[in-house]
Amino acid sequence: MASQRRKRGESRVIRYIILGSWAVFCIAPVLWFLSIGFRPRTEIITPQPIYWPTFSLDAWHMIWSDWPMASYLRNSVLAIIGSVIIDLVLAIPAAYALSRYRFRGREDIGFYILSTRMMAPAIVAIPIFFLFRNMGLLDTIWALMLIYAAVNLSIVTWIIRSYMMDIPKELEDAARTDGASDLRILWEIIIPAVLPGIITAAVIAAIFAINEFLFTLLIASTKNAYTMSVALANFTGGSDGLIYNAIALVAFLAFVPVFIVVVAIQKHLSRGLTMGAVKG
Amino acid sequence: MARIELSGIQKKWGAVWGVRDVNIDIADKEFIVFLGPSGCGKTTTMRMIAGLEDPSEGQITVDGELMNEVDARDRDVAMVFQGYALYPNMTIYENIRFPLRMREVPKADHDRLVREAARMVELEEYLDRKPAALSGGQRQRAALARAIVRKPQCFLMDEPLSNLDAKLRQAMRVQIKHLQRQLKITTVYVTHDQIEAMTLADRIVIMEKGMIQQTGTPDEIYSDPANTFVAGFIGAPPMNLIPGELLGGTFRAPGIEIHDVKLTVDGKVTLGVRPEDCHVTPEAPNMTGTVYGVEPTGDMTFLTMRVGEHLIEVKADREYRRALDLPETVAFDRKRLYFFDTKGGQRLR
Amino acid sequence: MTELSPNLSGAAKAAPAIRRRSKRMRAAFPYLLLTPAVLYLLMITLYPGVYAIYQSFFLVRFNSWTYIGFQNYIDLWNDREFWAALWNTLVIGSVALTLQCLLALTLAYHAYRDPWIKGWRIIFLVPMLFMPSAVAFMFKLAFMDARVVADLLMRVGVIENNIGWASSTFLSRMILIVADVWQWTPFLFIIFVAALQSQDEEVEEAARLDGASWFKIFWNISLPLMRPVIAVALVLRGIDITTMFANVFIITKGGPGGATETISYFIYRTGFKTFNFGYASAASVVMLILTVIIAQLVVKRAFHSGRE
Repeated sequence: MASQRRKRGESRVIRYIILGSWAVFCIAPVLWFLSIGFRPRTEIITPQPIYWPTFSLDAWHMIWSDWPMASYLRNSVLAIIGSVIIDLVLAIPAAYALSRYRFRGREDIGFYILSTRMMAPAIVAIPIFFLFRNMGLLDTIWALMLIYAAVNLSIVTWIIRSYMMDIPKELEDAARTDGASDLRILWEIIIPAVLPGIITAAVIAAIFAINEFLFTLLIASTKNAYTMSVALANFTGGSDGLIYNAIALVAFLAFVPVFIVVVAIQKHLSRGLTMGAVKG
Repeated sequence: MARIELSGIQKKWGAVWGVRDVNIDIADKEFIVFLGPSGCGKTTTMRMIAGLEDPSEGQITVDGELMNEVDARDRDVAMVFQGYALYPNMTIYENIRFPLRMREVPKADHDRLVREAARMVELEEYLDRKPAALSGGQRQRAALARAIVRKPQCFLMDEPLSNLDAKLRQAMRVQIKHLQRQLKITTVYVTHDQIEAMTLADRIVIMEKGMIQQTGTPDEIYSDPANTFVAGFIGAPPMNLIPGELLGGTFRAPGIEIHDVKLTVDGKVTLGVRPEDCHVTPEAPNMTGTVYGVEPTGDMTFLTMRVGEHLIEVKADREYRRALDLPETVAFDRKRLYFFDTKGGQRLR
Repeated sequence: MTELSPNLSGAAKAAPAIRRRSKRMRAAFPYLLLTPAVLYLLMITLYPGVYAIYQSFFLVRFNSWTYIGFQNYIDLWNDREFWAALWNTLVIGSVALTLQCLLALTLAYHAYRDPWIKGWRIIFLVPMLFMPSAVAFMFKLAFMDARVVADLLMRVGVIENNIGWASSTFLSRMILIVADVWQWTPFLFIIFVAALQSQDEEVEEAARLDGASWFKIFWNISLPLMRPVIAVALVLRGIDITTMFANVFIITKGGPGGATETISYFIYRTGFKTFNFGYASAASVVMLILTVIIAQLVVKRAFHSGRE
């Protein structure tokens, strides 16, 4: 890429100043917050902020012994896995229909599914709360799974649809003349061909599920259903208020797997985030 | 047995005609080629035979049984696609096996049949690979093997060679023809390449703008074209077509004069004469013009002449050389002259 | 080519009766595929929508529902806090969105042809990968509880005394904006970079040979080509910003005198803090109507242009 380097040489200094500044702006808070997680509680809120704290694993021990961290973790993981499975089961056939068939109402149904992405949680928060209460599902992982699946379904459907549209029609024609039924084609040919898209969709849905706050806040009330996202608000102690080192540590606990997975799919990231509109 | 009959076939999309009034009887074991330029309707017609498209009107029968309502899955045809359409996530072995599984051929026979098909196209060593690991020619053969494996009643081939380079194309042409003779399966082959058509076909169906222009053996198409389209499409370089006037048995056009034309029609007539039927000679010439281009190719020389406002192609012998803009005279082989109605393009006999 | 093995056609080629599968079944197939997903979504849109509308006509106190007609809506209309919530959402949302868009464009412009783009991308991605609630706590700590930002500003000499973040309307809103911009600029950045990288290099090279400066090329060629992408990205991010809840809940709890109360927080507060469910439902319905209007006007067009 030497030619590219030469081409952009003239504004190199400015470029690196700008990009570098933003990089610092991105990373500095993260490093600082990381240091918060590894310091004793007494060094967090002080008259003068401490920038070189003493190393301490207090928070780590605390979250496991004083709080049901294992439950929080379990709830997050189960809710995510469950909701993603629900989404894939519903979305793959739907995406198949939207991408490879022509039928009346296709545009309208597609847009309807897309529009649920725009549904603000606050709009349906109260009815959903009552729904789960009446069904006796408050404070259960099932409720979380169901609501996460609903919120993410449109995203998963549209991402997979985008990838399915890339499959050449010839492939289906060949399978049909070979004698395959539509379901067979979906299962043996289409799905393997869009596996990257399915993974991308699953990852993005999982991330949105980890992040989910409002519904989880309303649904969960005990360690049966608290996820990491909302549990952060639980780390309070006595009169001092929030226990920040615990919060910071849990934040990083959630961050690491997300970081690894996102770097793995980063090629597909822009396509996933825009639900297929922008192909990276 | 697979006699295929298309009668009264039409295909329309909204107001756009794809195929108009197609009637063909394809005999069992025949190798028939649909030939024509892009968009002429040949692929659409074949897809209707396959069941991938439904005709707007008309009937498709195989061995007397009406097939219009039968889904593509259930028709006993195998298709080879232009892009090969190999299933990318399966090995070649699994690709070839796929139709056997779909048609519920007994499992015990699968391995034997797959290996036989692979052997026929010389791909036995590649059975474990995936399509992405194969070259273009190998993928082509894999697609062929997949079509062969279940011994269908009919092969359909949609420009299978057009993605290959010229050398490979030639080799594959021979192999396909040989295969078809061995397997004795009715084959419908679509192409825009007239050389493929001429070398492979038992019969050729030339189509243009959705309509059949002529149906016949390669010889008939070549020596007895039905209209100017067919005449100009077949042959490389193509037949020279020169409009002029026929009056009292003499054809005249700027630079051209032919006597004793045995046609009773008078009026605006187009002359057709192939380059190889034009002979450079000073005696009793039919055509006079100037040299526009001289292209030696080794085994012969292409001479382009400017005659009136036309450029006429003439095949001269390999030693022919002449400077540009000098005059030249050409005589035609009288047995190989064609005349067409200038307005409609129809052949006049 | 080997000789035809005499047994190739040995597989018993009994001519099976041709099956004629119903063509109507085939036509119904796509609808069948879509039904589960659509039904599931209707459950979360239609059912709650109808429920919310219904509930908005009642005064709901725990388990007793009293019909009061449009009173909730009238009260909403007269409720200063409701309008304030809408206003806050608009202000905070548009400032945050504009800021992140400009930042993301600037960064993308500089980064997309840089040889270290892969590295930049990963570094810039980091903020987006934290849980939003965690990010909210981080900024709450940095600005308010631990006063790190104030301390840094004092060291640099920008200010002299401590700042009352929580008591200032402007500053509280600013913290929310900073948190959102910090976390979500990468979202736009990734998309913009992808769009720029997919543009034809040769067009840029031709313009360069014609003597155009890099910026002129960007402004006149790359940027206009990016318009549908920007539209889609802004719509997606815009929708999410207007539903801002976690940041408000964690950092400001509605801020000094409701100055940072977004519409989502308003609904939460009236519903789950003062337990005025009917009232909160009415607000939800209003928000729904606004969403639908915006969807019809803006989103449809943005997505159709984004999809080529």
